Amino acid sequence: MSVIFPKWTNLLPTIGAIGGLALSCGVIGGFWYYATPKFWRVGYMPKQPGGGFNHQIHAGKLGMDCRYCHTHIEESPEANVPNVATCYGCHQAGSLLLYDTSETHKNKTEFIREAYSKDASIEWRRIHKVPDYVRNFPHNVHLHAGVSCYSCHGRIDTMPVVYEHEPLSMSWCLNCHRASEKNLVPPDKVTNLAWVETQLKDRENGQAAAVNEGKRLVDTLKNAPPQNCGACHY
Amino acid sequence: MTTYPQPDEVTSRRLAGLAQAAPGGTEPDPKTGDGTLIDTPGVRAPLVLNNRSFGEITNIICGYTENKVPRWWYPMAGLTAVLASMMGAFILYLVITGIGTWGLNNQVDWAWDITNFVFWIGIGHAGTLISAILCLLKQKWRTAVNRSAEAMTIFAVICAATFPGIHIGRQWMAWFLPPIPNSNGIWPNFRSPLLWDVFAVSTYGTVSLLFWFMGMVPDLATLRDRADRRLRLNPEGSPLVLPFLPFRVDQLRAYIYGFLSLGWRFSSRHWHRYEAAYLILAGVSTPLVLSVHSIVSFDFATAVLPGWHTTIFPPYFVAGAIFGGFAMVLLLLIPARELYPNMKDLVTLRHLENMAKILLLTGSMVGFAYSMEFFIAWYGGNKYELYAFQNRAFGPYWWAYWTMITCNVVSPQLFWSRKLRTTPASIFFVATLVTIGMWFERFVIIVTSLHRAFLPGEWGMFHPTPVDICIFVGSLGLFLHLFLLFMRFIPMFAMAELKAVMPQASPHAHGDSHGHDSHADHDAGHAHQGGH
Repeated sequence: MSVIFPKWTNLLPTIGAIGGLALSCGVIGGFWYYATPKFWRVGYMPKQPGGGFNHQIHAGKLGMDCRYCHTHIEESPEANVPNVATCYGCHQAGSLLLYDTSETHKNKTEFIREAYSKDASIEWRRIHKVPDYVRNFPHNVHLHAGVSCYSCHGRIDTMPVVYEHEPLSMSWCLNCHRASEKNLVPPDKVTNLAWVETQLKDRENGQAAAVNEGKRLVDTLKNAPPQNCGACHY
Repeated sequence: MTTYPQPDEVTSRRLAGLAQAAPGGTEPDPKTGDGTLIDTPGVRAPLVLNNRSFGEITNIICGYTENKVPRWWYPMAGLTAVLASMMGAFILYLVITGIGTWGLNNQVDWAWDITNFVFWIGIGHAGTLISAILCLLKQKWRTAVNRSAEAMTIFAVICAATFPGIHIGRQWMAWFLPPIPNSNGIWPNFRSPLLWDVFAVSTYGTVSLLFWFMGMVPDLATLRDRADRRLRLNPEGSPLVLPFLPFRVDQLRAYIYGFLSLGWRFSSRHWHRYEAAYLILAGVSTPLVLSVHSIVSFDFATAVLPGWHTTIFPPYFVAGAIFGGFAMVLLLLIPARELYPNMKDLVTLRHLENMAKILLLTGSMVGFAYSMEFFIAWYGGNKYELYAFQNRAFGPYWWAYWTMITCNVVSPQLFWSRKLRTTPASIFFVATLVTIGMWFERFVIIVTSLHRAFLPGEWGMFHPTPVDICIFVGSLGLFLHLFLLFMRFIPMFAMAELKAVMPQASPHAHGDSHGHDSHADHDAGHAHQGGH
């Protein structure tokens, strides 16, 4: 038998084994990191009309409650985006002191008055979206159970431009449904984002009072958070 | 005076011009067929005919891949390739358009898809039985059929694995079949046999592939060395792969077979390791013969549907799988013997008769299972179950049920006749019927049980669409095409194992202690053939 393959080909099995191992680790690791909503969705911050509604100023500095604009979240599954009339209520010409003192502010809010005068909508870009086959994410039910805005949207009151803070993947939903004591707060505190953040961080750090509060709140629920397929997909 | 003849005396006599090799096949003998149908106790039938020498065996088997492509090969490969492409095209159509292109509906929500899956996965069982269980039981006749039966197993698993993948509706979610960590935070249901199925079939496919490939390594090395030798003897003798490439066919063969033979050098150490590994794989595969189809039967038996919910399913499915698998081995090997006449020296009438006897046994076992299902349906006193079975035999699908009974239970009984079980044409006929019958068995189990469930409001009928039919016919084409490729490019027999069951390999074969002077003059049916 003559030599068909040169001697260096003896290295090929080793190279193949190491390379194959490295390649499969790379593919699995890459998929794990890049191919989930954690990578694709978190941080999504589309350009909004007029530079966006500055939640940091309105909800943070001015201390407006979420429900001033998102009026129906307590009784509707849908968290409504306010219509232009809500904005116009404050931002009509001459209504705010700033309107007269700051030329920048006047220019920045001009698109609201323009839209109002034309009876048109402001086309805000949607940020948080669950797929169509998640039939129904009821905001009202979650709020009454004591799930704070913070749990899904983060510290909105510190965001000059809103971005997606959580992955909104199914495992992310289930993580909370399976361990709701980590996220429940008293229903009257759900919009108090700064308080909620401290409270939930305390629970994460294992502070006894905060942890017990979470356990107490789970016991007050009439129904345990559902984990069956039909709860969301129907 | 004691003589010490050459180990391969037949060859030396032929080289000396003292004996001639027959061209292949032997004259039929009314009593012993081709000389292998010996029923005398204590007399072993020869497993290789015509006093073939070791060298001739190598030449015959390597010739299937090295000689010119036979005339029948291209049209058959072409036709089956067209059918296989048709399958691919219709699967593409199915994926693009949706599962509604099949005939299944709200009542009959599993139909030809799962019928075809169970049909194909069952076919494979004969290969595993031959390669594993018959190996452990030291059934020497398996050496002539194991390579092609194992190939058939792999191709059948390929066809079978297609169907669960495409029946799920959203085929791009097929990765959800095995348990993979995912951003949905959920797992498949570990209590469901549908998940066990994924493990069973993938284990089965992997082990079968390993078994097949490992057994093939020495034979691939033979093909490599022959190509290499031809090149050295006559570097210009082999044609170019393509007219403009400076690369010869034998070079390509030496590279490819050389790569696949993993550096095999026929050393004793290699053979030692090979034997050990072969035995281990045979041991690993043996439980698979029973487990795979048991788990497939759980897909049905763990449901509460009358007609499915029976404890007899696992053994009954396993017997049926071996039954259908052996029928397919015969369907492939009988034409192959006719197309390659010298194959009749390797796959003798005895081999066919043995497999026909297995058909008779397993056919009677499934017949018993069919009647036991009816008995239990009556004896168990469950009126839904009784109705399900009455509906099978006398309902709208009566024709499917009686086709199944005729093909699976009645037709193998022909093999009680010695003449019918030793005539290739009649074996082929029965094997065809059995293959049809085994397909109908799965159809009957799946469709007639589903089409009339508990409430009359759930009753309906199933009508196959052209998409159903074309995908099934296409899977037959894919299977046959893969087998034709196997016949052309891979050694169809395990050469070393075959040689080990030839008389020359027996330490007693050369007459040194029995006073025989020449082995070549022995009758084909002599007591020493095939060893003690």
